[in-house]
Amino acid sequence: MRAGRRAAGAAPRTAVTPPAVAGTVRIGTAAAIVVVALVLLIGPLLLPEPDRADFADLLAGPSSSHPLGTDQLGRDVLARLVHGGRLTIGLSLFAVLATGVAGVAVGMLAAATGGPGRLLMRLVDVLAAIPVVLFGLVAAVALGPGTASLLVAVTAIAWTPFARQTFLLVRAERGRDYVTAAVALGAGPVRVLVHHVGRNLVPPLAAHACVRFASTLLTVSGLSFLGLGIQPPTAEWGAMVAEGREYLFTAPHVVLVPSVAVVLTAGTALSWGRRWDRTGPW
Amino acid sequence: MIRLLLRRLLVVPPVLLAASVLVFVLPRTTGVDPARALLRARTADAVPDPATEARVRAELGLDDGVVEQYLRWVGTVLRGDLGLGYVSRTPVAEQVGDAAAVSGLLALLALAVAAAAGIPAGVYAARRPGGLLDRFLGGATVAGVAVPEFVLAPWLVLVFAVGLGALPAVGWGGPEHLVLPVLTLAAYPGALAAQLVRVETAGALARPHARAARARGLGEQAVLWRHGARLATTSVTALSGMLVAGLLGGSVVVEVVFGIPGLGRTLHQAVTAQDLPVIQAGTLLVVTVAVLAGVLVEVLAVSLDPVQRTAEGVR
Amino acid sequence: MLPTLRRRLPVVALALVLAGCGAAPGGGDGPDLDGELAVALQFPPRSDYAFDADDGARLQSLGAVETLTTVDDEARPAPLLATQWEQDGDAWRFTLRPDVTFHDGTPLTPDAVVTALSYVAGVEAPPRAIADIGFAIEADGPDAVRITTTEPDPVMPLRLSSGNLGILAPAAYAGGGAPDYLRSGTGPLVLTEVDGAASAQLTRFDGYWGEPAGAARVTVRYVEDPQARALAVQAGDVQFAEGLPGAQLEQVRSAGAEVIEYAGARTVPLQLNQSAEPFSDVRVRRAVTAAIDRPVLAGQVLAGGAAPAADLFGTAVPWGATAPPPGADVEQARRLLTEAGYGPENPLTVRLWTFPNRPELPTLANAIQAMLAEAGVRVEVTVGSYEAQEPDVLAGDYDMFLNSRSYLSDFPDAASTLTSDYTCDGSYAIDQYCDPDYDALIAELNRTADPEQRQRMFTEAAGLLTEDAVGVMLVHPLNTAVLRGATGFVPDPLQIRPVLPQLTPTG
Repeated sequence: MRAGRRAAGAAPRTAVTPPAVAGTVRIGTAAAIVVVALVLLIGPLLLPEPDRADFADLLAGPSSSHPLGTDQLGRDVLARLVHGGRLTIGLSLFAVLATGVAGVAVGMLAAATGGPGRLLMRLVDVLAAIPVVLFGLVAAVALGPGTASLLVAVTAIAWTPFARQTFLLVRAERGRDYVTAAVALGAGPVRVLVHHVGRNLVPPLAAHACVRFASTLLTVSGLSFLGLGIQPPTAEWGAMVAEGREYLFTAPHVVLVPSVAVVLTAGTALSWGRRWDRTGPW
Repeated sequence: MIRLLLRRLLVVPPVLLAASVLVFVLPRTTGVDPARALLRARTADAVPDPATEARVRAELGLDDGVVEQYLRWVGTVLRGDLGLGYVSRTPVAEQVGDAAAVSGLLALLALAVAAAAGIPAGVYAARRPGGLLDRFLGGATVAGVAVPEFVLAPWLVLVFAVGLGALPAVGWGGPEHLVLPVLTLAAYPGALAAQLVRVETAGALARPHARAARARGLGEQAVLWRHGARLATTSVTALSGMLVAGLLGGSVVVEVVFGIPGLGRTLHQAVTAQDLPVIQAGTLLVVTVAVLAGVLVEVLAVSLDPVQRTAEGVR
Repeated sequence: MLPTLRRRLPVVALALVLAGCGAAPGGGDGPDLDGELAVALQFPPRSDYAFDADDGARLQSLGAVETLTTVDDEARPAPLLATQWEQDGDAWRFTLRPDVTFHDGTPLTPDAVVTALSYVAGVEAPPRAIADIGFAIEADGPDAVRITTTEPDPVMPLRLSSGNLGILAPAAYAGGGAPDYLRSGTGPLVLTEVDGAASAQLTRFDGYWGEPAGAARVTVRYVEDPQARALAVQAGDVQFAEGLPGAQLEQVRSAGAEVIEYAGARTVPLQLNQSAEPFSDVRVRRAVTAAIDRPVLAGQVLAGGAAPAADLFGTAVPWGATAPPPGADVEQARRLLTEAGYGPENPLTVRLWTFPNRPELPTLANAIQAMLAEAGVRVEVTVGSYEAQEPDVLAGDYDMFLNSRSYLSDFPDAASTLTSDYTCDGSYAIDQYCDPDYDALIAELNRTADPEQRQRMFTEAAGLLTEDAVGVMLVHPLNTAVLRGATGFVPDPLQIRPVLPQLTPTG
């Protein structure tokens, strides 16, 4: 398992893309996201049977009936890719949204309450250092490996980086002139937070969410690869890699397709995160 | 600084206490009888009979109340004598300690490789933002984060062990066994370090003191390294501090794929075998390291604010 | 991938230089008696080689520790540390082999055997081979031991071949707790060093009473990951590996390795709950049997990593079925289902539970789902933790359960499995099968001492189970062994005889 994914959030200033290629990358990433979203939303309707075995057509290469070939049970790799992607990406999105909402709420609360807030943030800092994989292992013991233990693993402490970043951003913004002005004009603390500060928080938090999405996706597929997450025969990208590993030489597409899907999805999310990131010098 | 450290350390005991309760109670909420689970783990195809289960339960004190069991366990933790693993039958402290030493070595080497590759890469990329090297590094850092270990490790084995025959595919013992696991583990921190260093160095080079130094006639390389890279060191140290706990207990994929007797694989085996004492001790150790590293990094960051210090020194 | 690799190239190059002296596979032939071997084994010790756990057999298969008896190819008891034995009522007398010394130099005596076996009989949960039979042992003269049981025991010589009953030197037990197994066996190899669940070192025992070991030194690496074992053979890290996935055999073969596949004493049964609808109806059970294509499961789904099962027992044991099972007969399955009242208007839907500890099970579950769909049966697959499922399946609260069972209980005798799994009062009677004729047969079996007659009764019992369609015996997973740079592997489907001593390096 990838160590300490959550620390990705510790380095939000990740903009490295130079302006010359930024436009191309931007268009490419946006296109990739649209394509992925469409495939994952519509694909399952077009390819309804990811578990359907066909013993006459095992480990076949790409053909017109199976554009990405078949696996060791003659299951259509494209159908499994699409269904697995919906599960992998869906779980990751859910986890990022849930932890994002919780983390931003905690961070704002802490920023708004002074002393107790600082204490809370100290606790958050400490929690944020605990590796996510540990929660995956303990949850797998407690709940039995499966979707539930996976969800616990990717949500239990994953809200802490959001809370930390929100707290720091709010504190920085609050010292600025426009906030002082708003308070002087009679705006209450809630109004200041939501209307004035909030607007300036969105880009860095969105960038952070993209990084978190990529790391959650890698955690979900990594835990499933180890047998601690989604269980085969259910299609999930990490589980598909684990199931297909022994065919690496005889039918490499069975491993390559889900591997490439994981890498491209995580890479796209990271690139998109850089787009959102306006705090860096570029 | 000492006062700051002590103040920050105050948070640690309550967190560890909470972690110890969670680690102890959670596995007991499943309804699975630990005595039965451990008998099955010891002898896979045997059918445990109730009398044997009762004997084992009594021997391990599993019939006592949860609170009593917890207090007894905390006592053993504080004394440092954790007894024998239910399944492994070896002293838990020794088992977890040995495994942590292996993972610790891997973690330190991976962080060293990451720093050795990531810092120069980031510094050179920052020299000409938008240049060829910078653009290449931008893509490489995305790949370093986005390629998971379960994809990277088998390919490294295929190329260097099976293809070139230069390195062993599995095992632990000699220095040759370190190379592929360390490379796999270093990809992610290396990418992060490169990103971080590039951003910080470029930012520093754009500041007045660097421009002033260049105007005074300092060579390009000297400016780059003295002013740019130096301030990046602190942030890379902080990054290492935050990653070390994850590398210590979270390198499960690498340790399983390369057959390394580290903490991640030990915990994975213990989870499969339901060996509760090993899981509890290992988890608590990693949490402790994580929390302490977190506190140290924070104190370091506060007391050695790099931007201020470097700026002062130049004036 | 490419940018990542390219970015690392300088580091990689340095690493290659540093590791340039790494071992390359030797290419010569002919045995090398001073040679060393590295092997990759599948199952790491989980319980520190404890005799009362599955680990007990590890020391036996490493060739470090021996038992009083072993077995021959016909699964009959054969001499090892004991040379002969005779039964006398509820007692057996075993005469010990003369001039045997332990690795620590002390001689094998009746007292040493008594110390060793008394220890393992007295632990918290004694091994199955001697549990619950009132096992007691004492010295009997200068060269023999006497073993008594509560009831006359027909199979004591077979029981004593179990790896759980290995004999260590008396000094090993002096500490009081678990025995110190280093340098204290009698086998052809001396276990000199153990590094937890990671590795072990063995050297040839020059004072061995029998044929000396083929290698002067053996390094054992425990590698649980099957693909890692295959890659280790291909990379030349090890000269021997066991338990390779069927799909990777071709690859290691083309790398010049010798591949040996042999039967294993294990069955993957699809257990059907007979205590409730729909499987209380034998026609539905037979329909399921007819709908499943076992040759396809073994040959295609598991890529040749298993043999199709016709019966509870396979070719690993002399009493097992040798004729392969028929393929699927979907027409027959549909007809039987219609007779039982199921059809397109009243389709049958069942739950299938299994667990992921053995990676082939979820794959098989998916294949069974597809095969039963052909016959009009809808299967809902749930893969969960075995520990959570066990109470429900034992209570008869399930439909189908895909399991994996060794049909020998640590020694080559099936009475224990036939009793616990299929009698009315069996402690592991998941199928909820209860038949007076079958129980009468098992009762008679437990009074029969003659090995040949017992084996005939095993066959008969398995026949009754097949007749009543008690579950569907799907496949017998095959064992695999791969050699590259070594020779001399002797497959033992019974997993009693040691593996490592015969291996001889050729490099």
